[in-house]
Amino acid sequence: MPLISTQALTKRYGGSVTALDGLTLDIEPGIVGLVGSNGAGKSTLLKILLGLIEPTSGAAKVFDLDVGAKGVEIRELVGYMPEHDCLPPDMSATDIVSHLARISGLPRSAARERTAEVLRHVGLYEERYRAIGGYSTGMKQRVKLAQALVHDPRLLLLDEPTNGLDPAGRDEMLELVHRTGTEFGIAVIVASHLLGEIERVCDHLVAIEGGKLLRSAPLGAFTERTGTLAVEVEEGRDVLAERMRAAGLHTIVDGSAVLIDLVDERPYDLVRDTVAELGLPLVRLEQRRHRLEDLFRDAPPGNGNGDGAEAPRPAAAAGAAPEPADSPEPRP
Amino acid sequence: MTDVTVPPPGGAPAPGAPAARAGSIYDLGYRRYEGPRLGRGYAIRSLLVDSFRTTYGLGHGGRAKVAPLIFGALAILPAVIVVGVLTLAARIGAREQFEAASPVNYDTYYRSINAVIALFCAAQAPELFSRDQRHGVLALYFARALRRSDYALARLAGFGLALLLVLFLPMAILLTGRVLLSTDVGTALSQDLPILPAVIAQAVTIAALFGSLSMVVAAFTPRRAYATAGIIALFVVPGLVATAVIGQGSGAFGTALVLLSPGTILDGTSSFYFGNPLPDEFFFFDLPTWTFVGAAFAVSAIAVLIAARRFARYPT
Repeated sequence: MPLISTQALTKRYGGSVTALDGLTLDIEPGIVGLVGSNGAGKSTLLKILLGLIEPTSGAAKVFDLDVGAKGVEIRELVGYMPEHDCLPPDMSATDIVSHLARISGLPRSAARERTAEVLRHVGLYEERYRAIGGYSTGMKQRVKLAQALVHDPRLLLLDEPTNGLDPAGRDEMLELVHRTGTEFGIAVIVASHLLGEIERVCDHLVAIEGGKLLRSAPLGAFTERTGTLAVEVEEGRDVLAERMRAAGLHTIVDGSAVLIDLVDERPYDLVRDTVAELGLPLVRLEQRRHRLEDLFRDAPPGNGNGDGAEAPRPAAAAGAAPEPADSPEPRP
Repeated sequence: MTDVTVPPPGGAPAPGAPAARAGSIYDLGYRRYEGPRLGRGYAIRSLLVDSFRTTYGLGHGGRAKVAPLIFGALAILPAVIVVGVLTLAARIGAREQFEAASPVNYDTYYRSINAVIALFCAAQAPELFSRDQRHGVLALYFARALRRSDYALARLAGFGLALLLVLFLPMAILLTGRVLLSTDVGTALSQDLPILPAVIAQAVTIAALFGSLSMVVAAFTPRRAYATAGIIALFVVPGLVATAVIGQGSGAFGTALVLLSPGTILDGTSSFYFGNPLPDEFFFFDLPTWTFVGAAFAVSAIAVLIAARRFARYPT
């Protein structure tokens, strides 16, 4: 049983904006990075999992409980750190966190004890008795994390936890997230648009774009694979792709290039032989490395700017995503 | 992030204490919570208690206590004055005359502090609903083990109970003063106690009506100033319109208006509970006075429903 599963989850706002578009996804326990550019649907997904908003269609389960029917039961065991400011400035960290602990069902004395522990865990000491209005952004983010942890959830949903932090603060927050996930066995989902950060703490990545799943795989699969072989020929692209597929290689045609998945050394020889045999005018043969960034080279929906905009980095094209099924819709 | 390296108080851990599984005994680290989770009912109660406390500014620093203290003091001031005067009168042996002449008594007290209670509501209802919206705290509540309607109802009930405190306190002072100053405590109690059910009924009606109306206004704006202005307008404007219309002598329309204006509704319920005739300005009103009680609770119920609906649809 996966920790989280969604089936054809769709959320439209006001009929025109589609935040999630038929998202089907299983997430296993661990530290999971939910990556996507702004507006990709990350926050919407987290809010649906919490039962904060209702999906337009489709279904989602957390702990094998339906989010629509069992919202209260789910939320009892989930901690949520929202993206935006959510702390009353006239209360102290101790007061708001222990208050929220009680709203999560902890008895008064346990709430007080847990508040002290969890604030120490996030690194707030003497200042926790002062009003939050005087806190730095970093301290506020820590309090936000503390309130998500105070009732000892089984699942932690963090929405852009490093928002507004300076580099040192980012490092500390990421270290905290990492420790919370690895040492205490709490499943964590971290939503972020910053891949460089996410890959430091996660062991699994889910990439979404335009409300659709781009890819879901262990972190290793994103970085360790050799990459893609891009072959540009002046003519005969489709024939070449045909032959590659016939040889059992994962191949797609993207614009002027034929992209072949590199799982071993075999494609190099095969491409050379095939091009020679067919007498194709070969323009370019290059290996493209998979980078996390490659997942997002695709122009955001509505940009409509096509490949031209990517000129400075010819190597990086949207089609580099290995599974054709996951590749975004073709450009006009 | 560095680990906590402060030694636990008392130095070495107690013998038999479970040793930390990984690494140093000094690292208190994060511990799992194995205790009870008391669930939704407890969460609602906790939020209700918090609403009660927040209404009086408890747990929110000094400035948050100023308004409730001022309006609370104004609400009990007439009771304190009456008891003070009674004390003086008792010394010169003129207690009976004074009691008879006192302009403020159980049945008229709330009418005299209506405006103060309204201001209390206008000042403090935004502290609950507007404040939660303004600072984004709603996302934290809604992400916890309760429903949105639970949130709205717990806040409303907490505010209502806080209003009951400020309504009962002056009556308790009045009662205590009268009983203690009388020559015979037993007789005084038997004189005053029969009126208490009416006092309690009127207080509950005021708390329900003013509480729900002020909270439903506060539910629709994160801005405290707007909410306060809106609440005052809601309390004052219908009464002014009613007065103007009544002055024109339009009976049926006037009747409809006084059954919708918070202030006049409470005049009517007071007449019903205490068995007094309606004030003179209700000369045209030909319905039985229980209609005011019905109007009070109908208006309150509608306000509560609107507030609950507002938060059910609140975008988070």
